[in-house]
Amino acid sequence: MDGVASYQRFPTVKIRELKDDYAKFELRNTDASIANALRRVMISEVPTVAIDLVEIEINSTVLNDEFIAHRLGLIPLTSERAMSMRFSRDCDACDGDGQCEFCSVEFHLRAKCLGDQTLDVTSKDLHSSDYTVVPVDFSDASGYENSETRGIIIVKLRRGQELKLRAIARKGIGKDHAKWSPAATVTFMYEPAIHINQEMMESLTLAEKQSFVDSSPTKVFEIDDETQQVKIVDSEAYAYDDEVLKKAEAMGKPGLIEIYAKEDSFIFTVESTGAIKASQLVLNAIDILKQKLDAVRLSDDTVEADDQFGELGAHMRGG
Amino acid sequence: MSSNTVPPHRTTAPDFSPLNEMVRHHIESFDHMIDFGLETMVKNIKPVEVFDTAANKKLRNILHFLVFPVVYPPQKDSRGKSTTATLNPFECRQARISYDGKLMMEVCFQYDDSAAVLKETFNFGQLPIMLKSNKCSLRNADPKKLVSLKEEASEAGGYFILNGLERVIRLLILQKRNYPMSFVRSSFRDRREGYTDKAVVIRCVREDQSAVTVKLYYLSNGSARLGFWAQGKEYMLPVGLVLKALADTTDQELYVSLTCCYNGKYERVKGAVGTQLVGERVKIILDEVRNLSLITHKQCLQHIGKHFQQIMHGMHKESHTVVGNAVLKEYILVHLDDNRDKFNLLIFMLQKLFSLVDQTSVPDNPDALQTQEVLLPGHLITVYLKEKLQEWLLRAARELQDEINSGNKSLDSMNLMDIRKVMQRNSSKLIGGSVDNMLKTGRMTTRYGIDLPQSAGMTVQADRLNFLRFISHFRAVHRGASVAGLRTTSVRKLLPESWGFICPVHTPDGEPCGLLNHMTSCCRITSFYDSGGNLKDFFKMRKSILTILIGVGMIPSWPRLVQSALPEVFSVLLDGCVVGTIASNMVEKAVTHLRRLKLSANSMIPDDLEVGYVPLSIGGTYPGLYLFTCPSRFVRPTKNLVPPPTESNNIELIGPFEQVYMEIRCPDGGDGGRKDLGPATHEEIHPTGILSMVANLTPWSDHNQSPRNMYQCQMGKQTMGFASQAINCRADQKLYHLQTPQTPIVRTGTYEKYGIDEFPLGTNAIVAVLAYSGYDMEDAMVLNKSSVDRGFCHGHIYQTESIDLAEKNSRKTRMFRRDGKSSKLLIDSDGLPHVGQTIRPDEPYCNIYDADTNHTRSQKLKGTEPAIVDYVAVDVKNKKHLQKVNIRFRRQRNPVIGDKFSSRHGQKGVCSQLWPDIDMPFSGVTGMRPDLIINPHAFPSRMTIAMLLESMAAKGGCLHGKFVDATPFSSSLKKTDEKKTSESNTLVDELGSKLTALGFNYHGVEVLYSGVYGTELTCEIFIGPVYYQRLRHMVSDKYQVRSSGRVDPLTRQPVKGRKQGGGIRFGEMERDSLLAHGAAYLLHDRLHTSSDHHIADVCSICGSILTTSVSQPQKRVVREIAGIPPGRDPKKVACVACKTSKGMETVAMPYVFRYLAAELAAMNIKLTLQLKNEAGA
Repeated sequence: MDGVASYQRFPTVKIRELKDDYAKFELRNTDASIANALRRVMISEVPTVAIDLVEIEINSTVLNDEFIAHRLGLIPLTSERAMSMRFSRDCDACDGDGQCEFCSVEFHLRAKCLGDQTLDVTSKDLHSSDYTVVPVDFSDASGYENSETRGIIIVKLRRGQELKLRAIARKGIGKDHAKWSPAATVTFMYEPAIHINQEMMESLTLAEKQSFVDSSPTKVFEIDDETQQVKIVDSEAYAYDDEVLKKAEAMGKPGLIEIYAKEDSFIFTVESTGAIKASQLVLNAIDILKQKLDAVRLSDDTVEADDQFGELGAHMRGG
Repeated sequence: MSSNTVPPHRTTAPDFSPLNEMVRHHIESFDHMIDFGLETMVKNIKPVEVFDTAANKKLRNILHFLVFPVVYPPQKDSRGKSTTATLNPFECRQARISYDGKLMMEVCFQYDDSAAVLKETFNFGQLPIMLKSNKCSLRNADPKKLVSLKEEASEAGGYFILNGLERVIRLLILQKRNYPMSFVRSSFRDRREGYTDKAVVIRCVREDQSAVTVKLYYLSNGSARLGFWAQGKEYMLPVGLVLKALADTTDQELYVSLTCCYNGKYERVKGAVGTQLVGERVKIILDEVRNLSLITHKQCLQHIGKHFQQIMHGMHKESHTVVGNAVLKEYILVHLDDNRDKFNLLIFMLQKLFSLVDQTSVPDNPDALQTQEVLLPGHLITVYLKEKLQEWLLRAARELQDEINSGNKSLDSMNLMDIRKVMQRNSSKLIGGSVDNMLKTGRMTTRYGIDLPQSAGMTVQADRLNFLRFISHFRAVHRGASVAGLRTTSVRKLLPESWGFICPVHTPDGEPCGLLNHMTSCCRITSFYDSGGNLKDFFKMRKSILTILIGVGMIPSWPRLVQSALPEVFSVLLDGCVVGTIASNMVEKAVTHLRRLKLSANSMIPDDLEVGYVPLSIGGTYPGLYLFTCPSRFVRPTKNLVPPPTESNNIELIGPFEQVYMEIRCPDGGDGGRKDLGPATHEEIHPTGILSMVANLTPWSDHNQSPRNMYQCQMGKQTMGFASQAINCRADQKLYHLQTPQTPIVRTGTYEKYGIDEFPLGTNAIVAVLAYSGYDMEDAMVLNKSSVDRGFCHGHIYQTESIDLAEKNSRKTRMFRRDGKSSKLLIDSDGLPHVGQTIRPDEPYCNIYDADTNHTRSQKLKGTEPAIVDYVAVDVKNKKHLQKVNIRFRRQRNPVIGDKFSSRHGQKGVCSQLWPDIDMPFSGVTGMRPDLIINPHAFPSRMTIAMLLESMAAKGGCLHGKFVDATPFSSSLKKTDEKKTSESNTLVDELGSKLTALGFNYHGVEVLYSGVYGTELTCEIFIGPVYYQRLRHMVSDKYQVRSSGRVDPLTRQPVKGRKQGGGIRFGEMERDSLLAHGAAYLLHDRLHTSSDHHIADVCSICGSILTTSVSQPQKRVVREIAGIPPGRDPKKVACVACKTSKGMETVAMPYVFRYLAAELAAMNIKLTLQLKNEAGA
């Protein structure tokens, strides 16, 4: 290995903004493959708990059984415990039939409309057998009343209609079904590096400068009130739409501005469904990514590696 | 998508009146039939007579058919109970019965000529009742009431329920009534020797809507023949004979009336229709009559009477004059009552015929809407009922006459009860049944023919696949089955005459293209009712029109015969009656005056009067002023520009006949391409008025290539949508249902007008246009699996299985009961399934116990796919013995690979992959992943620009939280507000600036990152929400797999058909391709091994494969050794013919070869095989 330059890098993370369901951070000193791997894992491989099996006892609502089961499945459940839970298919304690606390959580729902008013059956009517796994509460800390505080509507009932069911939530990953995905949105973009050729810029009139600034649909540039120079307000607002470059070209000033993407730094935006906190989502994703890498490394020197990875194994061993 | 803005249309109660307007012509015609039409019709039924010669006193029974047709509202089978409950349509649908009411009528009897008329009430069976007609319980029900009656809130009616199925009477195109049309048709030559290809044809319609077509043929010798159909035969009369029989005139008068159309000073002048030849022809016509030695009016009448006595029913005792008059009344120009009117019209027709022959006018185009009208449901039923009643009456009379003649003592011809009994041998109740049957099958069985172009396909099933399809059935007009078979395509052509009446876009592709058209959204059909719903008084109307016409200078044809003609004076025809002439310099003033009066509400002029003013021309259409007030014409509203804008009503209804000669300008205020013609008198209301309702739903259809809009009209009607809100109260055979429908962000004005939100048809999908992964080639599309997981385009199919135990077994020995063996999980104690239970193929879903055999049979689920029991509807009429149930199954149909989707722009595609979310490209800024990826190649050749516009507009619209109006041709509207003058903006500019305001790219493109690699895609991607429809074609209903299975017993080849589990034919062309490839082994495998592989025993001595027979050897008693199968006995095969088993060989061959040998043998052809062993093996 000596003599060959090491490709090892030490990625850094700088957190910009962190809320329960939202995180924004910079990831530097790595490349797109890692960034994308992280994104992919966050969306589809971080486990959560979601309702997977519904036993309907009474359903006289307007929606049919599958529809209700589908809606129940999509309700986000608090899943901090999901990482330590077992997949019901791997569970030794049970056959995954929901009797076992290691792999499943039982819910009950019972609603009947007795009055003339339409009754909304919401996620708040789901009663969990485990206080750690409950439907996500969207009510704001500030406590103002909005439609979300009532929970997610499952079905509406009119007089005489009834819904009674038992539901079993299980651990799963987004790859199997989108309901297990903890991420509403995970996205990243290359950090743009913008260089204004101020010399050339000065050759423009103020009106031309203004039209140049306005040519970007997002607010990236601004004209300084004092110096009347074009300056960068928010380089990250730039969406790589090339509008300003085209504008510069159209003005007959190519090279007025140079924009290139920094290949090794990424700005991540993570939005969680509420099943797990955004920060936890990132950490869990890193854990899972590590586990996956471990799985590859562990089988590195074993004979099975050949069976498992074929030629890839040989590559990994440096052959 | 922002969801906090409440759509404004939700706050108010929806208005369904535009929807009701769509089917009004169906309901109005049926209403009229019930209220007045039946009564008029029975009055026109010929009375029959029976003579009792046996009695000493000369007795005559006049069976006079008459009066009082009463149709009762549909009622439940009361079974003798005094109180009857109303039957509701939903009950009919669920119980699979017909929605019909009792038809009662009184038959009058008159003995001799006594004044006393005796009446007897007869029951004429059950007449199907149209929904929302005045006999229907849904009439005048508001949406709330409709919902409580388990209908849609927007139910518009207009159809029938027969055995639970909804059927609509098809609107057929017919020749315009009471208008003499000139024809050139080579088939006329074949009528008889001397006939030419020219004729004037008029379809005369009586007050009761029955029609008789009369043809005036031109003969090569210059004469003419009047032809009409009677009793299934065409009779041709010399026209002079008819003219003389119609009016008592002199030859001189006749000559003048006919030749007045020629005047020497008007040669080659506009409107000069007559030529010198006319006089010659008239002479020939008059000579013909004289040669028959018929001189006087009376002689002519008697001549006609003498020849037609045979075919006139019940007239063999009448004098020839009476019969002659009856012929004139019943067959010749029947829309007119007065013989003088008929005479005048015949003169007019002759002049038109001569002008056609002399080529001073062109023949009318029978394919143009100008000369067409439509057959309405009420009229069809009236006409059919008339035929059936007449037939019944004749048969009853014959029955009665036979009975009297046979001298049966028990029959007292004076006793009505006896007579009734005899008459009822032909049960009158069957009359209602025959109408029911006609509606059920669409087939008419008529004895005499009722002057309709076809006798089958009169009705169609109004399937509720989705709302658009359903409503289109009421707006469709069919050209007729007789035309469908023609090889010429001229009938299918879209003619400019149909402008504004027939939608140019909404016609199916392929076989019925151009024959099955749809009315535009603003097109109406005139009826017997005015816009206020009051019955029109045609007599009064015509009278006041006449007064007005005389007021503006018309010279009435009464009391003297017309002696002057074109081009000096115009003939005025009012509903096919020559009412007078008007000087040609006054016509235009009269027309304007009439149009002005049409608008005012107080005048007796109907607002849908058609003022067909055909101006003078050289060699154009035969000029005249043709006025029509009759029902079943097309009309559409336009703006009349003549009255000052202050006047409240300037909307005039115009018809296709007059439209051709009118100056109508486009609503943008421009001249619409017209050049130096007179100023426009009318203006279109809105340019979308030329499109049908379905075509109007395509957003910005004016930006699409036109065939794409046609495809969308097709696909819109195949979309899986929200077919019905009352789905749980219906028992349709098959119903498609979209679970998660949405309202489109980009929509046209029509969408809201007709409340399509009640029946949405698709979902807003985020569509990215890029070539990604190659799975979107050739109109395939990649769906986001996670979107599908979250409910994108989820759907169901509802199928209803109806089990009627009483069907083949009237003794009620069968019942639903569970037997011990069946699983309690599947079947409840009552023998029926549990609601919500999943039933897998071949599992039972209900048990039927037969008391006769003491045996329980179970109904098993067919198909290969499990179903869920959605609902079990029980017929509660019979409480003790449950005999009838409807079991509704539900099958989930979530998107899978192979399902078909389409945008609203004729861009259909098949799902080729369900990619996981993480593999889809994503936007770096918003993190948005598309629901759907389509290939950019879908656009350049198809030019569906509106789809791109929709994507841009919807992107802006959903971020603004507003719906975007995408009504087509809005740029062709006159700009009322002047604010738009500054910007000469195109639509794209408008949408683009909206996007830039939100920080998006002007053109709607975005930078996307590859979901697989995380790298930026090299070009910007066009992405935005597009309303997508899920089409009903789904692989789950179509896929076909087979390795082995059922074979045809005769040929032993695999059967065909998916239902039977059959194979797909490997045909000749497929065989050819394998041959070309030299794939011999595969060929052998497909065509032989996997097909009818057979090892035949062949006798090598005689070469026959048919004479071999296997003889069963004696069963040897062999102790079976455990574990080892018993050794097979060698087969003993012998040839029966050669009586030896020596030359037996086995040969592999297709079994059909053996079959061929057998077939040949049946024809005495022997087939021998010569066996050789060339390989030496």
